[in-house]
Amino acid sequence: MLVRLLALLLVLAVPASAATRLNVAIGADVNVVEVHKTLLGPGFKALAPDVDLNVVGTGTGEPASRAIYTKLKAQADTGRKDWDIDVALVSMAVASQMVKEGLLLAYVPQMKNAALVKGAEVKEAFGVKVDGYVVPMFQNQIAIAYNPAKVPTPPKSFDDLAAWAKANPGKFGYNGIKGGVSGVGFTMGWVYWKTGLYTQLTQGPFDKAREGAIRTAVTALRDFNRDAFITNGNAGTLDALNRGEIWMGAVWIDQLVAWKNEGRMDPSITPALIAPGLPIYPLYLVVPREAANREAAVRYIDYIATPEVQAKAIVERFGWYPGVDAERVLPLISPKAKELLFKGVSASDLARFSRQMPIKEYHDLITLAYEEIVR
Amino acid sequence: MFLWPLAASVAASFTRDGALTLANYETVRRLYAVDVAYTVGVAAAGTALTFAVAIPACGWLRARAFGPVEFLLKVPLFVPFVVVGHALRVFMSPYVPGFSSSWGGIAVALAWKHLGLAVLLLLGAFRSVDESYLEAARNFGAGTGRVTRDVLVPMAASSLAVSGILIFSSMLASFSIPLMMGRGGGPQMLMIDVYYRFGQHGDFATASALGVVAYLLAMGAALVYVRRLTAGRHA
Repeated sequence: MLVRLLALLLVLAVPASAATRLNVAIGADVNVVEVHKTLLGPGFKALAPDVDLNVVGTGTGEPASRAIYTKLKAQADTGRKDWDIDVALVSMAVASQMVKEGLLLAYVPQMKNAALVKGAEVKEAFGVKVDGYVVPMFQNQIAIAYNPAKVPTPPKSFDDLAAWAKANPGKFGYNGIKGGVSGVGFTMGWVYWKTGLYTQLTQGPFDKAREGAIRTAVTALRDFNRDAFITNGNAGTLDALNRGEIWMGAVWIDQLVAWKNEGRMDPSITPALIAPGLPIYPLYLVVPREAANREAAVRYIDYIATPEVQAKAIVERFGWYPGVDAERVLPLISPKAKELLFKGVSASDLARFSRQMPIKEYHDLITLAYEEIVR
Repeated sequence: MFLWPLAASVAASFTRDGALTLANYETVRRLYAVDVAYTVGVAAAGTALTFAVAIPACGWLRARAFGPVEFLLKVPLFVPFVVVGHALRVFMSPYVPGFSSSWGGIAVALAWKHLGLAVLLLLGAFRSVDESYLEAARNFGAGTGRVTRDVLVPMAASSLAVSGILIFSSMLASFSIPLMMGRGGGPQMLMIDVYYRFGQHGDFATASALGVVAYLLAMGAALVYVRRLTAGRHA
C-alpha cells in the first residue's frame, strides 16, 4: 500500500517536470503568434500530451526574424549546447542566411509529411539551397489591391498599372523599400518586368554586368514614384485605400483578407495579380541545429504540415495560402473559404504570376540602386 | 557600463568582414548625407517650435500661476512617443492630408512631445528669477510679453540653452514618431536608417557608422552643454 501511494505521489509530482517544453519563437505579427497559442498548440497538445508549448513572438517584419537569428548566432558563437529555441518561424531572407551559416537542422526528411513540402521556394531561397531545412507555414502573396468604385477596369499588367498611375497621380500607393517587404516585393516585380531578367535574377549566377539594366529599371521606377503615394508600411497602404486617399496599392493579400474579416476594411477592396507577376514570400518553420528538443520540434512542424491542419487553421481561419502541397490542401477547404481565398486572385493567377524573390546579390543590388536613385 | 557598448559600436563601424575599413562611412556619405542634414533640420525646427510655444507660455505662467494650464502643458511628458506619433497622424490627416508625413508634420509632433519637458525646465528657471526684477520692469509699464522677452529670457539664458540642447539631442535620436508618421520614401530621420540597415539587411556595420554619426551630432550639442555648466560654476 505504502509503495502504491508513493508511486501515485511520484506520478502526480513528475509530469510537470517530465513534460517536454517546446520553445517556439515566432518572427511575425501577433495574429500568427495567436494561431500557435490558441489553435496549433492545443491541437498538437491533444496528440502529444507530453509536450508543453511556450510560444513567444519577436515582433513584426524582417527585424523580428533578425532577432531570432541574433539569438541563435550568439548561442552558436559561444559554443553553447542545447539552444533554447526549438522551433522558429522566420523570413525567407533570414532562413537562407541561417542555412548558409550552418545554424539550422536539415529536419524535413524526418517528417511524415515530407513529400508535401514542395515547390521552388523550399529548394532555394535568395540563391541558397534550403532544401530539407524549411517548411513554409503559409505562403503570402503581394498583389495590387484596388477600389472597384474608382477603378472599374483593374490593371492586368505592369504596363496597365504604369499607364493608370500616370493618368491618376497620387492615387496608387506602395511603401517603398523602407516600409516593409511588400514594397520591396513590388520593387522586385517592377525590375523583373522592366528588365525581363526574372530567371537570371532568381536563379543566378550573379553577373555584375546586369547592373546597368537594373539601374535603368530603377530609374524608371523613380519616375513612376513621382505619380505614386509612398506610404509608411503595408498597414499604411491599406489604411490609405480604406480612407479613399488612394484607389490602388501594392499590399500583402493576407493582411487585406484579415482586415476585411475583422471588419476594418472596405469589403469591396479587391486584390489582383498583374503580369508578369509579383513575389510570393513564405514564412519558414525551421529547427535550430542544436535545439534542445529536436525530436518534438519536428513532430510539431509535421503536425502543422498536415493537410487537414493546413486547411482548417491556415486557409479557412486566416485566409493564408497553404504552406505545403496545395493540391492536397485545397480539396479540404469549404467552398466559402475557397471563394474568399481566390476572390480577385484565382489559383491560375497564382500559378502564372507568383514570382520568387531574387538571389541575395541581386536583391542587394536592386535595393542599393533604389536607395541611390529613387531615395 | 556605458563606455563598453559605445566602444563596441564605434569599433563595429570601422570593421567590415573582420577587416578595418572606412567603407561603412563611405556608404553613410553616399547614401545618407541628405538624411543627416534632414535629421538636423527637423530636430532644429522641432526645437525652435517647442520654444516658440514654451517661452510665452512659461512667461505667462510666471506672471500668474495657473495650475490647470501648467498641468496641461506637462501632459506630453507622460504620453509615450508611439502614442504621440499615432495620435497626431490621425489628428492631422483629415485636415491637412500629406502634412503629417512631411518634415513639418514630424517637427510639430516632436515639438508637441517635448513641450512638457521644455515647460518643466523653463518654468523652474523663470521662477528662480527674483520677483523684484519683475516688479521693477512692471513699474516701468512692461507687460507680460515685454517682461518675458527683456527680463526672464536673458536672466534664464543659461537654463534655456541647456534645455534647448537636451531637447535637440532627444529629437536627433527620435525613432518612434518618424516611424509612425513618416513615409517609406524620401529623406528619413537617422534612426529610421539605422533600423533599416539592421532590420532589412542585417548590416550592423553601416548601422553602427550611422550610430556614430548620431553620437557626433549629439556630442556637438553636449559639448555646448558641458561648457555652459562649467561657465556656470566659474561665474
